Amino acid sequence: MKFLTKINRSYFITLTIVLLISSVLGYLILHQVILNETKEALLGKVNLLKEQILETGEIPNLYPEIEVKKIHRLDKQEAAFKEIFIYNAEEDEMEPYLEYSAQEKIDDSFYSIQLRQSTFENEDLVVILALTMSLLLLFSFVILFFIGRRINKTIWADFEQNLAEIEHFDFNDKTDLHLVTSDIEEFDRLNRVVIKLTLKLKSDYMSLREFAEDASHEIQTPLSIARLSLDEILQQNPGKEMFEKIVAAINALKRLSGLNQSLLLLTKIENKQFKADQTISFINVAKRKLEEFDALLEMKKLIVETDFNEDFIVRMNHELAERLFNNIFSNAIHHNQKGGCIKIQIKKDEFRICNSGLSNSLNNETIFNRFAKDNSKSHGLGLAIVKNICNTHSLDIHYTKYDSHCFTIQRNTYK
Amino acid sequence: MKLLIIEDEIELLIAISNYLIKENYLCELADNFAGAREKLSMNAYDLILLDISLPDGNGLELLTTIKEHQEKAGVIIVSAKNSSDDKIGGLDMGADDYLTKPFELAELNSRIKAILRRRRFEGNSVIKFHEMAIYTDNMLVSIHRKNIKLTKKEYDLLLFLLINKNRVLTKETIAEHLWQDNIDMADNFDFIYTHLNNLRNKIKNAGGTDYIKTVYGMGYRFTDI
Repeated sequence: MKFLTKINRSYFITLTIVLLISSVLGYLILHQVILNETKEALLGKVNLLKEQILETGEIPNLYPEIEVKKIHRLDKQEAAFKEIFIYNAEEDEMEPYLEYSAQEKIDDSFYSIQLRQSTFENEDLVVILALTMSLLLLFSFVILFFIGRRINKTIWADFEQNLAEIEHFDFNDKTDLHLVTSDIEEFDRLNRVVIKLTLKLKSDYMSLREFAEDASHEIQTPLSIARLSLDEILQQNPGKEMFEKIVAAINALKRLSGLNQSLLLLTKIENKQFKADQTISFINVAKRKLEEFDALLEMKKLIVETDFNEDFIVRMNHELAERLFNNIFSNAIHHNQKGGCIKIQIKKDEFRICNSGLSNSLNNETIFNRFAKDNSKSHGLGLAIVKNICNTHSLDIHYTKYDSHCFTIQRNTYK
Repeated sequence: MKLLIIEDEIELLIAISNYLIKENYLCELADNFAGAREKLSMNAYDLILLDISLPDGNGLELLTTIKEHQEKAGVIIVSAKNSSDDKIGGLDMGADDYLTKPFELAELNSRIKAILRRRRFEGNSVIKFHEMAIYTDNMLVSIHRKNIKLTKKEYDLLLFLLINKNRVLTKETIAEHLWQDNIDMADNFDFIYTHLNNLRNKIKNAGGTDYIKTVYGMGYRFTDI
């Protein structure tokens, strides 16, 4: 719920309650005031009436307002006000009246006087009150609405702008977070806290990132020296036994630097250091890889079936796209037997690579883990890299085993 | 052929220069930014090997100096960073190639030769060895003046072997050269063998001598003897 909606809603509720209470109170007060006024008016009328009888001796009668009767003697009855209803033929309804009945002695004669005055109908009162209150409510709301809109345009505009800025902030960007200052203390306080936090986070993130990269680069240099030195010994015609040992050492060093590079790549993917700034056609990637791996396919006598239905197009980094396809495809070659087959299927929202490997079904849970190794000499990071690339690009990967081992990469639709 | 090697790691600098001197290059060395800049402004080089992570400055900045003073020189950036941003940045600034550490000397040699061929193509585009000639401009190979038909990989393989003649190249080194780091399956380098056999057969069928010797079943050497 938006802040303004929330405020408006509570305004509305409070205002309604206040107006309801004041309506009831207003009704009661108004009713009482009208009654008192009417009483006063009636008492005034009695005096007028007495004077008229004294002067003219006539007894006025005007039903239902005035009813005067001559009586023989005074009862003990006291003067009193009474609220009554009298039928009105014209409007065909009962109308409320205030009645004043008294007995008076005028010029030695006794009179019973009944004066009545039509009062407000209660319903009319309620209707008028309700109408007034609704109008008030409506009026307040129109004003609130316009004030809210104005506030939104002025005060909240800065806030919204800052919010958008924070939403689009990327730790990989070189620029720092820039927030607009307003003259509202609370917002500025929030801005200061956010800026302080992001600066701290950014510097932490950068130093971590640099550490990972620096460490990995520092490892490459001694590895280079070791490899070059061993290569030099290799050129000095060592005997067979020595030769084999040196080659083993060189290959171990190669694996080590490969491992190092894979770990660095994994870190960089996790840190989202690759910008998804290219449009990748996986049909093109597949075609390129098929060409690249041609010799290997031929050697293992593998048959590749391709089904390029529609292109799978993703916004991502070129290097990562190649790596993604490469790792799954080279796995499919690696875990295949001579004369086996590989199926590559590309559709609009997915691509699938299946291979006729001999091994049993793999564990869907663990194969994507780091260092999840089978019996081979690989370092077990290939699928972890694939998984990480998928995770950072809203793609899903899963493994299934029916007749063949299949890896399917799908666009993640529920994001 | 005069080379300048800029590398802050002394042992690496010595290993590279020793190798390149053996390959008959004239080598000058610089192990820091200032020294490299001084050398660049004083002498003319055919090729510059540039490590971009130097202790006293960013090697990429040397590229501007190189542009100013060394118009004819080819540049290979050597970096521990396998980052495509650096790669593209360096190539944009006028470098000819980008080599990631750790690398093989044979690979370095083949890259140097390729750049020198490109930079000074007059007469340099043909590599001859006895009855064999490789025309690098149009990627043709002839034996006894008769063209033979090679696949792209076979051509690359032959060129790599010939450029590094007399040097033992392991299967892994060859595979790395042909497929870069796209193939990381340690136990599958046997397919190099298939390629090599095809190449040998094509050369022999054209009446050429098989100069490719197998070394203990683990490496190969292209040699006269």
